[in-house]
Amino acid sequence: MSENKRTLLFGIGNCGRADDGLGWAFLDEIERNLPSNFDIEYRYQLQVEDAEIAQNYDTIIFIDAHIATFDSGFEWKICIPKASDTYTSHELNPETILHLTKTIYNKQPTAFTLGITGVNYELALGLSSVASNNLTKALDYFNKNILNLITAK
Amino acid sequence: MTKIVIDPVTRVEGHGKVTVHLDENNQVTDAKFHIVEFRGFERFIQGHPYWEAPVLVQRLCGICPVSHHLAAAKAIDQIVGVDPDDLSVPAQKIRKLLHFGQVFQSHALHFFYLASPDLLFGADSDPLKRNVVGVAMAYPELAKKGILMRKFGQEIIKLTAGKRIHGIATTPGGVHKTITAKERMYFLDEKEIPSVDTMIKWSVEIIDFIKQYHNDNKDFLDTFAVYPSGHLGLVKKDNGFLELYDGVLRATDFEGNTTLNDVPNDDYNEYFYESVEKWTYLKFPYLKHLGKENGWNRVGPLARLNVCEGIETPLAHKEWMEFMASTNGKTNNMTMYTHWARLIEILYSAEMMKELLEDDDLLSNDLIRKGERRKEGIGIIEAPRGTLIHHYEVDDKDRITRCNLIVSTTHNNEPMNQAVKWVANNVLDGKAKITEGMLNQVEVAIRAYDPCLSCATHAMGQMPLNMQLVDHYGNVIEEKIRQ
Repeated sequence: MSENKRTLLFGIGNCGRADDGLGWAFLDEIERNLPSNFDIEYRYQLQVEDAEIAQNYDTIIFIDAHIATFDSGFEWKICIPKASDTYTSHELNPETILHLTKTIYNKQPTAFTLGITGVNYELALGLSSVASNNLTKALDYFNKNILNLITAK
Repeated sequence: MTKIVIDPVTRVEGHGKVTVHLDENNQVTDAKFHIVEFRGFERFIQGHPYWEAPVLVQRLCGICPVSHHLAAAKAIDQIVGVDPDDLSVPAQKIRKLLHFGQVFQSHALHFFYLASPDLLFGADSDPLKRNVVGVAMAYPELAKKGILMRKFGQEIIKLTAGKRIHGIATTPGGVHKTITAKERMYFLDEKEIPSVDTMIKWSVEIIDFIKQYHNDNKDFLDTFAVYPSGHLGLVKKDNGFLELYDGVLRATDFEGNTTLNDVPNDDYNEYFYESVEKWTYLKFPYLKHLGKENGWNRVGPLARLNVCEGIETPLAHKEWMEFMASTNGKTNNMTMYTHWARLIEILYSAEMMKELLEDDDLLSNDLIRKGERRKEGIGIIEAPRGTLIHHYEVDDKDRITRCNLIVSTTHNNEPMNQAVKWVANNVLDGKAKITEGMLNQVEVAIRAYDPCLSCATHAMGQMPLNMQLVDHYGNVIEEKIRQ
């Protein structure tokens, strides 16, 4: 991995389940705007080995569909390492990945989550109109407010 | 009567449910492992063109798609008139490299992420600690190696199939792409990732760990979930050694007597039946000539090491001999030895990946063969979890008209039910209070088989376990649900 690749975007979801594909759709749209020091990864779900990838970056952004409703259509939050209290390895959250990165590799990248509201999670290809609108708003916010901020770091 | 139900089973791939029925004196009267998913993959693939099968059926699973991809590919090869021995040598070797990468990453996933919490912390330890995150926090170096071993296998899959999950390596009669010298050097030079030599070294280290663990915990491992069973697996047709990609079917009974004598893949249908029960979606395969009661077999690492006569790579063969010596050469029916057997297969896979990566045949462009069109194809491989059978029939318009899948976890259905019964009878029976640690022992027994319930029922979704304790009136008096 080259030295200048310092920001990683994880798009999480499943485009075969309608709005669950929001994380991937975000990556599809944003990829062309990203500087060369950004990388993207598509995930059905986060896995333990993602901690190994995360250790190589200064900034990590986890993008996923969100079932909650927000006025803005999305939620941008800082993400802090936190030990998991779940029984399963099949569903790891971003906080746990960061905790593993810190525990195993002694690295703590700055991290954020971007949750975009979806309304339909049934078996289907393509986003609902609500999710599409929210995706547009999230992309607009990211391009105007976040991208420059991270690039200027 | 009281019934305990574990629903869903955790740290297995799929959605399972365990019920334990107790009488008024808390004596176990019955115990079952139910699979509560259904998808019907064998049905909806009908009507699709045969060349889509290796791509479609691998969607059964996100953990072992390569196994389904390869088993289907072997079957579809026959549809286009190409038997396994007729594939080009480079195509065979590239497929085998893919397969060993898959076995390596799947076994690493199981041991480090799913099984090691039970072994390192104990089956009755704090469940909040008894998981992969707990392992990573308490044993960071072990966790790091586990992560990198799984990653190595996934990178091999990406090399040969284009991506780590649901990639495409095969085409009817061969493979899509060759390997470049630069691509294979990535796995050999220890620059960007630990090399295949490091994978071999770490595999030996983890086997040393499990052998020490067996020394320290012999009483538990030699007695927990021990029950007689048949054992089934592929072996090499020329010398009976362990074979994972293409061999003949061999089975033995619990004492090692041969019950299936090196049967060619195409003849499997003459020897196997599948029965159904109304309380589970998972079928029960068995050998016809032995009947349903006596004809069921374990499959997977323990069965494979039982039925084979050796391993072709030197380090794994040495470990196999030591493994067999632990039972004085007799057939091993001790469920917990499956973990040790799985690690020997990790070492075998690592040695085979090295041999294949250093083979210049990988660089050849001789990738595809053609033959005379047939109407039927059967592909059998050893998936990480055991013997996997794909059988397709097609019509004159190239459409699939029939599909039969007997997956590894289906073979292990009766063995897993036996494991649940063993724990119910030996751990839960007669106890006034059922503790979380006791219930986890049910899962420990199931988990040794590394079941993939999504594959077995061809279903999708999460794979939790429910466990219920039900009294003699049929009321659920205790329930555990783990997501």
